[in-house]
Amino acid sequence: MDFPWIKTAVVGALAGFLAGLLGIGGGVIIVPGLVLLVGLNQYSAAATSMAAIVAASAAALFAFSSNGDVNWATAGVVFIGAATGAWAGARWMHRVPEHVLAGTFATVMAVAAVRMWF
Amino acid sequence: MEIVGLVMLGLFAGTLASTLGVGGGIIFVPVLTSVFVFGQLEAQGTSLAIILPTAIIGTLTHARAGRVVWNVAYVTGGLGIVFALVGAQLAQAMDEAILSKVFAVVLAVLAIRMARRAWGLRSESIATNGRRDATG
Repeated sequence: MDFPWIKTAVVGALAGFLAGLLGIGGGVIIVPGLVLLVGLNQYSAAATSMAAIVAASAAALFAFSSNGDVNWATAGVVFIGAATGAWAGARWMHRVPEHVLAGTFATVMAVAAVRMWF
Repeated sequence: MEIVGLVMLGLFAGTLASTLGVGGGIIFVPVLTSVFVFGQLEAQGTSLAIILPTAIIGTLTHARAGRVVWNVAYVTGGLGIVFALVGAQLAQAMDEAILSKVFAVVLAVLAIRMARRAWGLRSESIATNGRRDATG
């Protein structure tokens, strides 16, 4: 498939760099990067970002668990709900209009921006 | 009661994560530190332990719908890991308070661009639906 390698690489590098530097997740950079720079639609950007997060979170989890900073029991309980939600969200996402997804994402980013400022 | 709360937290964050394409740490970390009184590192570690398997399930479901652009995922994921290591090394040497503010501004600019795009898509969808009503 023909796709803009360089722009994609910039998004990945920037998202990783900021995640490592500030301890924030990469998704909040990857999704707008893929939409605004690479040109994916909101649905593909979300799905593709999630696939990238699998790799990134595996590496970070390894670091945290070697330091003993994981409460596995709590994680297990929250995961019961999270797994259900993630499946349902991905299963029925196509019913949500793209402008609603983009608007919700913009809201989440604004909240993240306020949190980072204070 | 606490278990019900934790499952509900997961349900909400998991749904938001898979429809938006984020991990969910933006919800897990603050809730774990403020409501469940976790320390910052333990909250981040626990959040990651939820995010990894949740993202796997979300990705598999998205992939079945044919939504994942794998080439893009490999490049962003691969470079993401490498540059996360670089960022983590530099973090010790830099002023975190200033970095956070710079990043907040970047996020705010992106949020505005995304909101404008949402508004544009909304007008487009209204125009298309209007046309459909007129012809059908």
